[in-house]
Amino acid sequence: MLVVSNIDLTTDSRVMNPATFLDSTVKEPILNVNNEYRYLKTGYYVSLHAEVLGNRVIPSCENIIDSSRIPILLLRAERAGIPTLPSLVTDSVKKIVSELGFPVVIFAVNPFIYDGYKTANNKSALYRAMKSLGMNYKFAVCAQPLQGEIFSIKTFFGKCQTNDLQTQNICKKVYEHFKIPMCKLHIQRTREKAYLCGLQPVGKDELSGQDLQMISKEVSLLSEQGEHFGV
Amino acid sequence: MNTSVSRIACFVEKYNFSDPREEGALQNFKRAAEKQGNEFHFLFREDISDVRKFDAVFIRATTDPLNTAYVVSKTAWELGLKVIDDPESITICGNKIHQYALFEKYNVPRIPTVFLNKDDLHHKKINDIFEEFGKPVVIKAPYTSFSKYVEKAACETNFRDVCKRFFKKSDVLAIQKFTPTEFDWRVGVLNNDVLYVCKYMIPKGRWKHGAKLRGKPTIVWGRTVALKKETIPQRLREAALKACSVVGKGLYGVDIKEVDGEYVVVEVNDNPSIYAGYEDRKDKDLYGKIINYLTE
Repeated sequence: MLVVSNIDLTTDSRVMNPATFLDSTVKEPILNVNNEYRYLKTGYYVSLHAEVLGNRVIPSCENIIDSSRIPILLLRAERAGIPTLPSLVTDSVKKIVSELGFPVVIFAVNPFIYDGYKTANNKSALYRAMKSLGMNYKFAVCAQPLQGEIFSIKTFFGKCQTNDLQTQNICKKVYEHFKIPMCKLHIQRTREKAYLCGLQPVGKDELSGQDLQMISKEVSLLSEQGEHFGV
Repeated sequence: MNTSVSRIACFVEKYNFSDPREEGALQNFKRAAEKQGNEFHFLFREDISDVRKFDAVFIRATTDPLNTAYVVSKTAWELGLKVIDDPESITICGNKIHQYALFEKYNVPRIPTVFLNKDDLHHKKINDIFEEFGKPVVIKAPYTSFSKYVEKAACETNFRDVCKRFFKKSDVLAIQKFTPTEFDWRVGVLNNDVLYVCKYMIPKGRWKHGAKLRGKPTIVWGRTVALKKETIPQRLREAALKACSVVGKGLYGVDIKEVDGEYVVVEVNDNPSIYAGYEDRKDKDLYGKIINYLTE
């Protein structure tokens, strides 16, 4: 297994940088570790190149595209048994008010905005959220009821730093299903339950020394497994 | 004949109705569906979440993995509905880098193409490209559609300018040999079969089907000349079907150039334009065939 990464890892595994890999015709399973897997960005092209070469690769292009489109992320997560809340894709304020009520959390579904969300407690806040995340009502948004507190957590190979078992479980299952080695999850926590709300890339500047150690350790572990490298 | 009634959702945006020729085609689809005893509803952005109430989805809004249309397509596909354009076709056609890599892998006759990574934009590389393809070359952003984001460059300065603009959205670009022709063949393909054939004429003095007039924002389109599909050269048909076979089994519009008697594929497009009185001129049955495919 070959690791392709844009991050400085401390590991004994063989690591190649993305530009070198994109010019190569390497034939072996690829572990693509990149802080950003956005569509048309280098992290995505590494997986695409690996797939066209016929290599097994983590993550797959399909998972890269699907996990970053919130409605698809939620649909596939729900079907995989990951807790989610009912969501609505629309550009109609009226529809959100009548079907979900308040408060709600709004995510963008357009080619330009790939991070963040907005919450709304009333109609005027909802109009503002739809105006900015729908880019002046040009695009639909994804709305979910807001039943608890929403927070974001970094996760690496399904692991995260929290004592909350339900959040740990969501991180683990999202990784099992989508195999995105590193990302940030948006999670909603009520008193009883945690729900997956969204996923976005981790900024390189958001990675602490401890995070890098954790990523390196996981990469080394996966390399050792070699043959059992599952996609 | 189908015995059961299918509920077909046609996902559209408002702009699909702004051109009467396109609106005409959409009404033709509706009529063809209803004639076969199906229901045909236009589904707008507001009601995307209603997709699950249908049996089949036909997407006419512009597709791209980053557009709402992909969300509609993948949702339908996950729910087991029949869908044109299916998510995999959108993915392969939405990124020309992906598509050309597959053409290379499966030996589809194509316009000579190289890929350029963001980190490789330097003097030597640019020189190598000019040496290989001559001047000018065509620079194509992977998300091109309707002749947009395809430009030519004849010198290094110009080449760098275009690349820098296109690199804002994609870290890899396609560079192609400049191959001017009077027209592009447009072969409509559905499920591995030729559906219609046209010539997309290139406007005089231009080099692509949709070209901007100097200093004006409006795009002029070349004429569309429909041909009887039975009369087209066998090798043209083969090139079109071969190119589609690496993409999928849906509905495609293949652009092909005829160069020195050879047929080379420019690109395969999902979600091909269908305008009443244009693409359908010699093949009025294309509406029924597409509806059939959605309901079988």
